[in-house]
Amino acid sequence: MATIAVRTRKSRKSDGIAFSEMSLRQNASVLEYCRTSISALSGATAGIMGLTGLWGFIFYFITAAMLSVLLLLKAGSRWNTFFVTRTVLFSNGLLGGLFTYVLFWTFLYGMVHVY
Amino acid sequence: MAELLLDSNIRVWVFLPIVLITFLIGILRHYVTILLSSEKKSELRQVSDSHALIRSRILRENGKYIPKQSFLVRKSFFNNEDKGFFKVEKRESQAKNPMTDPSMMTDMMKGNVTNVLPMIIIGGWINWAFSGFLTTKVPFPLTFRFKPMLQRGVELITLDASWVSSASWYFLNVFGLRSMYTLILGQDNAADQTRAMQDQMSGSAMMAPPDPMKAFKAEWEALEVATHDWALEGVEEELTGGIIQPETIYLRSKN
Repeated sequence: MATIAVRTRKSRKSDGIAFSEMSLRQNASVLEYCRTSISALSGATAGIMGLTGLWGFIFYFITAAMLSVLLLLKAGSRWNTFFVTRTVLFSNGLLGGLFTYVLFWTFLYGMVHVY
Repeated sequence: MAELLLDSNIRVWVFLPIVLITFLIGILRHYVTILLSSEKKSELRQVSDSHALIRSRILRENGKYIPKQSFLVRKSFFNNEDKGFFKVEKRESQAKNPMTDPSMMTDMMKGNVTNVLPMIIIGGWINWAFSGFLTTKVPFPLTFRFKPMLQRGVELITLDASWVSSASWYFLNVFGLRSMYTLILGQDNAADQTRAMQDQMSGSAMMAPPDPMKAFKAEWEALEVATHDWALEGVEEELTGGIIQPETIYLRSKN
């Protein structure tokens, strides 16, 4: 009868994820930067194209989703290195960007189509 | 819906100027705030106090990575009944009355001068100079609730709610350009007041607590209940894959 020694790992409570507060904040601000730029650009596009009503809002959410997909592609499989959760790529600054979008939309719509 | 035809001179002399004015005022305010802001002076005593608090917090959080003896030495430096730092040091409360402190008064004055005054003056001026114009039309339908918001200064009942008057166009710009300032002036700009508030809430290391004694007491309590939970147990063996510790062996019969 043979006996083998089996080593058991001591159960240790997990430390949680160690992350750097500064880098997290930096990443979040870069995300917001992208969001604002895309909102302004897509607002200008929608204004020049003369979208009205619901179509304009749909256009905003389409471009926002496109940005999120591009960010996901950019982060690739290593998104874990940069963000704690992946949902932040989709949800961060979505409503704040809407204000910028509406302003630019209104501005260029007024410039091009109203007068 | 009756379409209105607006004079294109309105675009050149009302619509664009309001956007430009709002935008440039925001940038100007940013630089004026930088110019006026006074360096917050902190006393040596306050800085050392806040750093002692930070050290104690770090000890509580990361103390498990140092040997137990080192942890206890550090803990006793702060919490010893007779000689501990938090026990010995006595500080008088430094919560000042902002009304009696002249430097606080000037700070508040500056905040008002750079934030509130431009809003009132520019808003009033735009109301006076560009009053009564319909400037643009928002490209989406709105309900009649929005009429007082968007058509300030133009009281026409039959007008469609999506037309925007000049005064309201100014306010739309004030709120909508906020994130543009973030884009142009950087993250922590002074043109955006809401962000400054958030920075204060998160708190920087240099900010001294208003009442050091209270902070010391709280930190003493927190450190007193902190225990040493050695996180690196058996780390050498794990690294080398070598010796098996006796208590982690059990025998299993193989048959």
